[in-house]
Amino acid sequence: MSRPLLNALHLNSGQRSGLVGAALLSAILVLIGLMVMWFGERYHLRIVYSAYVNLLVVLGLQVFMGNAKITNLSHSAFMGIGAYAAAICVTPVQIKAMSLPNAPWGLNAFQLDPVTSAAIAIVVTGLIALVVGLLIVRLSGIGATIVTLALLVIVHSIFLHRTDIFKGKQAFFGIPKIFDLTSILIVTVIVIFVARLFRESRWGIRLRASSDDEVGARAMGVDVFRLRLVAWVLGAVILAVAGICYAYFLGTISARPFYFTHVFLTLAMLILGGMRTVTGAVLGTILISFGLEGVRWIETGPDFGLVDLPELLGLSGIALGVVIVATMALRPGGIMGNREIEMLFSRRQD
Amino acid sequence: MDYVIQQSLNALSFGAEYALLALGLAIVFSIMGLVNFAHGDMIAVGGYTMVAFVAMTLGNPLIVIFAAVLMAVLASVTLERVAFRPVRYADPTTGLLTAFGVSMVIQNLFLLFVSPRPIAVTTLYFLDWPIDLGGISISSLQIFETMTTVIAITLLVLFLKRSTLGLAMRAASVDFEMVRLMGIKANRVVAMAFAVSGLLAGIACVFIMARRGSVDPTMGFNPVLKAFVACVVGGFGSLPGAVLGGFLLGAVEVGMLVILPQSYGGMKDAFVFGIIALILVWRPDGILTPPAEKGDKI
Repeated sequence: MSRPLLNALHLNSGQRSGLVGAALLSAILVLIGLMVMWFGERYHLRIVYSAYVNLLVVLGLQVFMGNAKITNLSHSAFMGIGAYAAAICVTPVQIKAMSLPNAPWGLNAFQLDPVTSAAIAIVVTGLIALVVGLLIVRLSGIGATIVTLALLVIVHSIFLHRTDIFKGKQAFFGIPKIFDLTSILIVTVIVIFVARLFRESRWGIRLRASSDDEVGARAMGVDVFRLRLVAWVLGAVILAVAGICYAYFLGTISARPFYFTHVFLTLAMLILGGMRTVTGAVLGTILISFGLEGVRWIETGPDFGLVDLPELLGLSGIALGVVIVATMALRPGGIMGNREIEMLFSRRQD
Repeated sequence: MDYVIQQSLNALSFGAEYALLALGLAIVFSIMGLVNFAHGDMIAVGGYTMVAFVAMTLGNPLIVIFAAVLMAVLASVTLERVAFRPVRYADPTTGLLTAFGVSMVIQNLFLLFVSPRPIAVTTLYFLDWPIDLGGISISSLQIFETMTTVIAITLLVLFLKRSTLGLAMRAASVDFEMVRLMGIKANRVVAMAFAVSGLLAGIACVFIMARRGSVDPTMGFNPVLKAFVACVVGGFGSLPGAVLGGFLLGAVEVGMLVILPQSYGGMKDAFVFGIIALILVWRPDGILTPPAEKGDKI
């Protein structure tokens, strides 16, 4: 077989198994969603919905962090930007006149349909990510991480300070609640395919190579900065989608959820599952979401009949921290390491 | 003129605090490449020790201060043994994430076993009284803090230059493997680094407590975030860089308070972090870059 053909076949097989893997993951996620819709109660729906929003965040995080191997701490900020941008566009004028009477640039004088609003939010987030990304992709390691950290702090201060646009610590209300579990299932499936296909694409493979050996990849002609930028912007777009899903379901947003607590929660999910794979992102999110629900139940001090546990505030935080430390000590690559879901079923397990 | 001197003194005392904490981060990083985000929780450990001693009616300020610093050192060394030893030779990202985890555990332990609400500790307020120097009013605390920082840095430099262990630590920051081949125990060097780092956090804790007068589980987070930034700007792993970064950050912060109009007060952090980010874009490895040739730490 000639060499180009071999290369082409190789690429195709990677992408084919990527499609299989994405389909498997989607099937599992849709199954969970359907089970909850059929058998769950109302509050189950809310819990599962927020778990799926977090899954979208973790996937957005994985696209950049997993492929470029640079710890990102600003993802919740991009989620916030997406959520606020969509919220500002979609909220009815009457409500905005009440909640944002002093908004500049006529932000309270128009109203768009949800789809256009979402599209604008995605474009705005993508553009901001592009500008910031131009600075971030040139750094690597701890330097890049600290700039993402700075970004998180900056965005959060702007949310808090510009109360005339974002309402700061108060709730931004009146967003039409148009999403339900079905909508987010569809979005999740799309994002799973996007993330997985990006990982197996030419860009994804080169980016992963550059994260293992930056100098080596450069020597082979990989434009590391450009690829990082692509992954960064794609990640930000996915994060914006997560923010939009969050806003369209709750109808009310505030700046607080887009800060450190959420950053660490989603980071823990990605780390536990294994940041190098999409399967890891999904697995980590599922494990931690379910696990935390259990821990929270203990936290409220349930009555076991014989033993009445006291309220244990902070237990979920401890559990999350222990999960991170234990994962790092025992399995730094996360549970999945470098394996995607379909490899678990194939005979060749490497 | 008075105003300028006044603000310069403010910048100096802010900077001193950041420099103390940044040094603690840098000394650990230079040896084992670990970004110890749990460093701030040593401040909280010190703070809660003060609460415990005051509650036990051992309100003598000297005992309280000594106990707080001692506990910060012990906690730091314990953490190294329990949490950071398994990831000693891992890459910086693994260490950073471990430290995040450790920090979450400690903060939530305080939340769970003590209280999520702030607890007042007024024992150290006596350190803080206003001094008037010909039109310039400063707080005694600022003087103590700046002087303590200078003394601490001097002692640290003496320790690093004159003692065998200090020499080993400096050598370890260049080539750890070689140091071990020379017959120095890795565990001792690393434990010493954590002890020094805990000591610096303990000292910073005393001043932070004297200023804010209360403890809460997340009190160490903001100071260490700033120290982290100072470290990176100065050049991560470089001890002079950490000091420089700390004082630079103090200057930027006070400068922002002076320049920004009152209504933008809430945006101070945004501008400070923005400037820091730009410095990093200008010099990705920080201003005083540590020696590029670091031996394999395996």
